[in-house]
This record gives sequence, structure tokens and C-alpha cells, in this order.
Amino acid sequence: MNKINFKSESAQGYYSDYIKRVSKCISTLADADRNELIMEINSHIFEGISREPAKNELEILVEVTGRLGVPEEFLKPLVARKKLDQAVRSFNPKHVFQAIILNLKNSILYSLFALLYLFLFTFVGLIISKIIFPSNTGLFISKGSFRALGYISPTDGLTEVLGYWFIPLSIIAAFLFYAFITLLLKVSRKT
Amino acid sequence: MNEEFIHKWESQVKKGILELVVLNILNNRDYYGYELIEEIRNYTLIDIAEGTLYPLLIRLKESNLVLSEWVEQDSGIPRKYYSITMDGKTTLKELNIYWENLTRSIQKITTR
Repeated sequence: MNKINFKSESAQGYYSDYIKRVSKCISTLADADRNELIMEINSHIFEGISREPAKNELEILVEVTGRLGVPEEFLKPLVARKKLDQAVRSFNPKHVFQAIILNLKNSILYSLFALLYLFLFTFVGLIISKIIFPSNTGLFISKGSFRALGYISPTDGLTEVLGYWFIPLSIIAAFLFYAFITLLLKVSRKT
Repeated sequence: MNEEFIHKWESQVKKGILELVVLNILNNRDYYGYELIEEIRNYTLIDIAEGTLYPLLIRLKESNLVLSEWVEQDSGIPRKYYSITMDGKTTLKELNIYWENLTRSIQKITTR
């Protein structure tokens, strides 16, 4: 690829950084696809800055790359799809693994949230357990220090300190946990 | 008015029709990427993150609807020109018919 030469050092640095970011995003693609895409982005930048030769180089470069978008965002779906194509074509386990990671990132994230939401049921289980086995369920201490939280058997040498307060405290903890993971889900959808 | 909803809806519609817009523009003559984006802006109100056009063009190329060719320039930075294929032209005809029917039926609902 023929690099674009700028008069201004800051513009040259900005340009090199942007191209580096593009290269990094598509580093897992096949050589031919990678070269083709970098040349195309390079050509786009050149055409963009050529449209306004009177403007400050850095200013117009920031404008052109700003309109192009964040490489990590606009190239992500393409890389994921290309990688999958490459994987099923080559049968290469390395490509298959990379493709699965790229394509399943969201699925993995949502599976993790599913597990966290399922974890809420442990609070329900503990409350039921407290009702059925009151002396084996709760917050246990021994000689002034924490030993266990939940169901434990046998309870020799341990003292349960919460009594039936364990039930409302478990409900409060479940609500707090629910609010926390829902907040995490909200944040993850925005990023 | 729910601005967040409108914004999401607009972005989905844009994504959906961008291929139709690109194929229609290429149906007149060959364009290189930057020029194609300028033409999209001239004809439509679609304000896209320009980088998303290139993955779209790659997809159209893989579907054999467009072809591309690097053309050397005096500047030393070549341009990649895109042209519509015969398959692209016949596919576009179908897409345009579908689009016309769709807009007609939507209009029927909105002007009821």
C-alpha cells in the first residue's frame, strides 16, 4: 500500500495511528482480504482529504476519519463473518476457534447473564432450607469469626447468629443482586 | 416523542435499504467508494458511518452482485471502482419491484 504523505507531522502521526488501528482490527483475516481492505480505507482517506486541499491537514483528516467511523466498530461484523467463512473453508482449528470467539462473544455474554440470573434461585433455595432445616441454615460463626453462609451439616461447634432474620436478609440480598446484574446488563447493552 | 426509539428504528431502516440504494446508484455507472458515499448523500438523507459501506460492498461482491477493479491514479493512491454485474441488474429489478409494492402498501396504511 502506498502511504499518504502529509506536510504536518501531527497529521502524519494521526494517519499512521488510524491505519494501525484498522490493521489491528483485521489482523486475523487472510492476507489478501487484509491488504484489500487497508488499501480501500487508505484510498478513502486520500479522496476525502483531496476534496478540501485548502483546509488544515489535521483538521480535515480528523473529519474524514470521523465520518469513516471507529474501526473497531465498523469492521467488527465483517471480521466476524470473514473469519467464519475462512474457518469453514480451511477446517483449520485455529481459524475455527477465532471465528467462534468472534461470533459468540455476545452469546457468551448473555449466557453469563443467564447464569447470574439463575444464581438468584439460590436465595429462594436458602429461604426454603431455612424453613425446613432452621438450625442447619444461616450465617455461622465459630469463636467470633465467620465460618459459613448457607446450609451446613453437621453444625458442631458453630453458632448460627441470624435466626429467622436470615429470611428477610436473603430477600434483601436477592433484590440487591438482581438490581446489580440488571444494571450490568444495561451497561453491557450500551457498550 | 420517544427519540431513542425513533433513532433505533431509523438506523434499522437505513441498514435495510442501503444495499438497494447502492445497487441503484451503481446501475447508472461505475463508482469508487468515496464517490459512492457522496452520491448516497446527494440522493438520500441517509447519513451513514462511512466505514460501514465497505463491508456492505464486500458482501455485494461475494454475492456476485457487483464487481470491483483497482484503477491506478497519478497520485499513486489507486481507486477501487465498483460496477454492477448482470446478476446484480436482474436482482435489482426484483428489489425495486418489491420496494415499490412495499411503499405503496405502507402509504395505504399511513394515509387511511
